Amino acid sequence: MLWYKSWLETRWRFIIGMALVLCSAAGTVITYPHIQQLIALTPTMDFSGPLGKEIREGIELARTFRGFVWSNWYHQNLPHLATLFAILLGTAGLLSESRGALFTLSLPVSRNRLLGVRAAAGLGELFVLTFVPSFLIPLFAPAIGESYSITSVIVHGLCAFIAASVFFAFALWLSTIWSDLWRPLLVALGVALVSPLAGFSKVISGETWFRSGQLPWGGLLASAAISAVLYSLAARNLTRRDF
Amino acid sequence: MHEPMAELIVETSELRKSYDGVEALRGLDLQLPAGSICGFLGKNGAGKTTTIKILLGLAHPTSGVARVFGSAIDASARQRIGFVSEEKDLYGYMTVDDMIRFTAAFFPRWRADLQQRYVRKFDLPLMRKVKELSRGTRTKLALLLAFCRGAELLIFDEPTSGLDPAMANDVLQAIIGHVANEAMTVFFSSHQIAEVDQIADRVVIIDRGRSIVAGTLDDLREKFCRIEIVFGGEAPAVTFRAPGVLRTKRMGRVISVFSNAGADDIAAEASALGAVSVDVMPVTLKEIFLESVSEEE
Repeated sequence: MLWYKSWLETRWRFIIGMALVLCSAAGTVITYPHIQQLIALTPTMDFSGPLGKEIREGIELARTFRGFVWSNWYHQNLPHLATLFAILLGTAGLLSESRGALFTLSLPVSRNRLLGVRAAAGLGELFVLTFVPSFLIPLFAPAIGESYSITSVIVHGLCAFIAASVFFAFALWLSTIWSDLWRPLLVALGVALVSPLAGFSKVISGETWFRSGQLPWGGLLASAAISAVLYSLAARNLTRRDF
Repeated sequence: MHEPMAELIVETSELRKSYDGVEALRGLDLQLPAGSICGFLGKNGAGKTTTIKILLGLAHPTSGVARVFGSAIDASARQRIGFVSEEKDLYGYMTVDDMIRFTAAFFPRWRADLQQRYVRKFDLPLMRKVKELSRGTRTKLALLLAFCRGAELLIFDEPTSGLDPAMANDVLQAIIGHVANEAMTVFFSSHQIAEVDQIADRVVIIDRGRSIVAGTLDDLREKFCRIEIVFGGEAPAVTFRAPGVLRTKRMGRVISVFSNAGADDIAAEASALGAVSVDVMPVTLKEIFLESVSEEE
């Protein structure tokens, strides 16, 4: 029943997230023919400077469907949405329950189990959010005369899930420190904003897989390790906490 | 011959709890025998809720020992406890029916027969969301969730807090009715003395984190008394040496003594001082409480 409770408490965040990610994934496929038409105009434009270099690179990537999907979906939209909803799902912690925390804690359930179920339910939702919508791309691609590899969907989905789990665990940990909703949310969003500076976007986008067919093992292992540490810190906080 | 000591369901020894340097409990000793209905009285901020939270494992003691069913509180002990918090915290997003099914899943000894009885008796709207319930109905739902667990110990924190007198009476009657039919121990905090007088057979009064009065109501009524001593002229300024003198007030020809050890020794001392009359008066629980927790003048 704790699973059911976790689902009831997070379902709207999950459903809204799912709707946004599904629309965004479908939009990636639907807009591609229009993007191709725009690319035909680019030789007449002048690109100079660092921004111009980035635009030029984006255009080059968009010349192939595979490149466009990576740059538009796996490099931009999915990481942003996955990070945002990982944080939103992670902040739905025990302490932020507006009512009912004392009732929950009076049940014959250990705090570790409460946190474990909450984390597992949230990670399950995050997994669906980061994994399932991307399958729309190989599904819809034939409609515009393109195709997309299922293997790439799986690999990029794994990268997005494992990397976004860090933000989920971070938000979960913060929500065991502060009992309000806003501080964990704002701090986690702040950290998410600066995370690309630490090379995080390469991991979450699976860039090495796209460019060279190599999995970003180091980044994935580091992400999993950071998530595990944050989770154990959250468990320790919750065990020691007075209510 | 001594009565055999009943099994202790709740026991604390030298229990201390500090929050950011402020002592909420300062060496609380508490003993609750099986089968008793214990009212836990104290002023606001006396440490009642903190004690209850420690007994349930919701807060950790700074030092001292708290035992429930003879051992430190853990998840398995909570299977034997029914609890209703002061705010009647429940999940607002669940329906009454969801809330009952959710809670029942954690208690193998859940009493489905009682559940049906209390749903009817409390007239609970099963399909309504908990957040849409009035405070009184939410309290009744919280009571049902505590009663049906098959618990051996019920802990209520201010069960009638925020209820109108009629609803408060309904809730008290529900508790009395339930306890009369089921063998269990009840520990409930309150600052409503009339409530405690109505349903408790045992009382603990806590003040500033310490237990200052504890015992059965009958014992307390027997031990506590007020002795009015009248002198022929101005009452002498005297300090009684008899044991149990808690408070002495001198007003003209009269000295009023509040004692927790009977009146015989004080009456003897008063006679020796030349008192013209000594009247021993029984006291109410309210007087015991007020005299015990009021500041020394």
